[in-house]
Amino acid sequence: MKGHKDLRLACLLAVASAVLTLILPWGPLCLVVALPLVFFLPGYALAAAIFARGRIPMRHLLVLSIGLSLAVLALGALVLNYLPGGVRAGWWALLLVIVVVAAARAAAIRRPSRRAAPSPSWKPRLNPAQAVLFAGGALAIVVAIVLAFIPVGAKDALGYTQMWIKPLEGERTGVEIGVGSGEQEEASYRLWVKFGDGEPPQGRYFKLSPGETHVVRLLTEKQPAAAEQIRAALFKQSQPDHAYRRVSTWITPTS
Amino acid sequence: MRSDAGGNPTAATATVKGMEAGTARRSALAKKRVASRPRKRLKVGHLAPILLATGLGLLVCSLANTLSRAALEPTPLLFWAGILLLAVPIFHRLTAEDASAPERLALVCLLGLSLYCVKVFRDAPTFTFSDELVHAFNANQISAHHHLFRENPILDVTPSFPGLEGAASALMKMTGVSSFVAGVVLIGVARLVLIASLFLLFHRVSGSARVAGLGAAIYTGNFNFLYWGAQFSYESLALPLLLLTMMALAEREAAPKQALRAWAAPVLLAIAAIVVTHHLTSYATAVTLAALSLAYWYVHRTWQRRNPWPFAVFGALLALAWLIAVASSTVGYLSPVINNAVNAVVHTIVGEDAPRGLFESSSPTIPPTPLGAKAFSFLAVALLAAGLPFGLRELWRRFRRQPFAILFGIAAVAFFGTLALRLTPPAWETGNRLSEFLFIGLAFVLGCACVWALSRRLAGAATRPLIAAAIAVVLVGGSISGWPWDSLLAQPMQISTDGRTVSSPPLALAEWAQHEVPEGRFAAATADAGLLLVPGGKTAFAGTSPDVEDVLDEEKLVGWELPLLRRNGIRYVAVDRREVASDTLRGYYFAKRGEELQLRPKSVVSKFNPLPGVSRVYTNGLITVFELGPQR
Repeated sequence: MKGHKDLRLACLLAVASAVLTLILPWGPLCLVVALPLVFFLPGYALAAAIFARGRIPMRHLLVLSIGLSLAVLALGALVLNYLPGGVRAGWWALLLVIVVVAAARAAAIRRPSRRAAPSPSWKPRLNPAQAVLFAGGALAIVVAIVLAFIPVGAKDALGYTQMWIKPLEGERTGVEIGVGSGEQEEASYRLWVKFGDGEPPQGRYFKLSPGETHVVRLLTEKQPAAAEQIRAALFKQSQPDHAYRRVSTWITPTS
Repeated sequence: MRSDAGGNPTAATATVKGMEAGTARRSALAKKRVASRPRKRLKVGHLAPILLATGLGLLVCSLANTLSRAALEPTPLLFWAGILLLAVPIFHRLTAEDASAPERLALVCLLGLSLYCVKVFRDAPTFTFSDELVHAFNANQISAHHHLFRENPILDVTPSFPGLEGAASALMKMTGVSSFVAGVVLIGVARLVLIASLFLLFHRVSGSARVAGLGAAIYTGNFNFLYWGAQFSYESLALPLLLLTMMALAEREAAPKQALRAWAAPVLLAIAAIVVTHHLTSYATAVTLAALSLAYWYVHRTWQRRNPWPFAVFGALLALAWLIAVASSTVGYLSPVINNAVNAVVHTIVGEDAPRGLFESSSPTIPPTPLGAKAFSFLAVALLAAGLPFGLRELWRRFRRQPFAILFGIAAVAFFGTLALRLTPPAWETGNRLSEFLFIGLAFVLGCACVWALSRRLAGAATRPLIAAAIAVVLVGGSISGWPWDSLLAQPMQISTDGRTVSSPPLALAEWAQHEVPEGRFAAATADAGLLLVPGGKTAFAGTSPDVEDVLDEEKLVGWELPLLRRNGIRYVAVDRREVASDTLRGYYFAKRGEELQLRPKSVVSKFNPLPGVSRVYTNGLITVFELGPQR
């Protein structure tokens, strides 16, 4: 690829992007590093190979670079599906790098030597006032994005409490009961659990703040001889006589 | 219509030059010429304030959504003010004569991406469109199991077209981001390709960057552009690829003989990608290319060289091969939709069925669209219709020797035919889908009409603002027509209280299933089932195939229902008392104080209590989950 700076740069970027994406530990950073490899370089290299003997305007080249990269992604998964191990990060990185390097190589062979690499036919220049306006616009967009992703309070949203139950796993016989508060304010609860006949009910009192979860594990006093239904009820302190939530499950001697 | 600052691409930006230029000497001379050519500077004087307006418009839209998520019921006018603030300065600048082609391209790209941001702001930080949840589930399945074509319990045809999810899996696998982040980025890039390809296509066909810019801007007024077409769904990737195909074909038609083969390569690659991505778009591609071939024959009376018929045949054969070899379930999926649409149209015409009222909601609890909004959308359609004759006249005068222009003219007229389909409920969806494709032609025709109006000798100082305002009406009216009025803004799905984040009851169910249920299939109402797919990560059935809808909705269990659950391996039944749980648009959110919450009778839940061996494993008051354990 001697004499074709753009193609050499595309290959270097593809390899660097693939390696960094696979070794960097943080998803968002990986995403930023992966973007050119995923959405630009394969299409660019293909367009360079396809139009090696001629010239296309820069804006067409840019659109083809992104568009053909999308086509490579849509078709690439099909290819990977039939490789050993299927669709995996390493295969994706390798496939994209192979597409970039192979297409760049083809472009270098087909392209007349010493031809200038494509470059933008226009160059924007900003004066200070325009730079301020640009910065203001960009800042507004960033604030808009942050605002959209931050959860906000909603006092008029109707709260709720969720409750679940499951038998304990392992050698101990009993249940795990979870209570999660989706209420708008702190609430006090009483938990009542009834194991099989002959065992006294067990109880717990606790308070939960909004968004808080309380998980209790309760064991039976004696092993059940057969499958036995465990029933649990949750009472709110404000309504002590009304079972607010009810759940049940079955435990067996082996469960 | 005179050439503007963008110039005629045929003359100014000759597509492929010197295909056979071989010798080093000639190349060196060419390089010297390029280097000595004065560089055009992109005029950023207008872009800077426009970007500021766009940013502020997005900020206002985001604020409107935030207030709505806070259940403060902001006036929708705030949202529309944001849309207008971001769009109108762009529309106005596109009407100018002195804007260059790169500036116009930058403006339409800014417009397309900004409107996409509006959709993302409504949904962040999760998907909330029912199709998005289906496709996100497929993407998660590919990511988790490393293979395509896995089962989807809600829409079983979707795994047969894995282009979208396969592409998303590249980002998910390589970077570890969620299907939401991968999907948002992927569709954002696809939107960029869509709007830029549309601009380049219109520019090539018309030879005018002004027509191209205005045409692309008008396209944003199609009913589905703002929301439905921006979702993480297979058509959202396939449509941009179709436009890329059309752009490449238009370039091929104008290219020198030596470059014909070169332009064929991107066309073939894009067609193949469309076929593996979306059924309807692949068939639309074959039909479009066939129509284009006929138009080419009509104009040039030849099937040789530039006539794109081989691409039409390639597209049709590839789509057929995919249908037979991989996606045979598509027939069962699409044929009832089309049959119902045809039958409904026939029944409505002969008077057996009453026509559907426009803006009529499916449930009495859904608030009606305000009169002003309805008027706006009718005004938008009236403006489209009013511009059509002028655009067609320009098309006939200037471009009747252009096959693409003929195709656009036919599509523009056909668009108004699809509006009639909206008058029958079963045909509504068919008409809605078709309009997205046909609007491409209408946008070109109206772009011609706008430039004709601007170039008339009598055009005064008010013409430009009037045209910008008319396009704004088309954008707002089209968006109102394409999306329910009460669902334009975000609703509370995750709220912050006491420093913690609390999820809505259906989302809390999905999160419980994700963390506490290691395996087992669910039956649930459609909205709950969507969330159980993503983020729940569970296989959840909804609707009538299998008929879990009746199992959930009836007040008593009948004989066939438990065997049906058993046959389909369903272990958990999530019973939701909210009527809105069967609404895939409104069923995901918190109920609000003062809102009338329609509840099903208690017996839809209690009917499961007496079943032998059943466990009542989860409840949040509105939704209760029963485990039909091995004892059943």
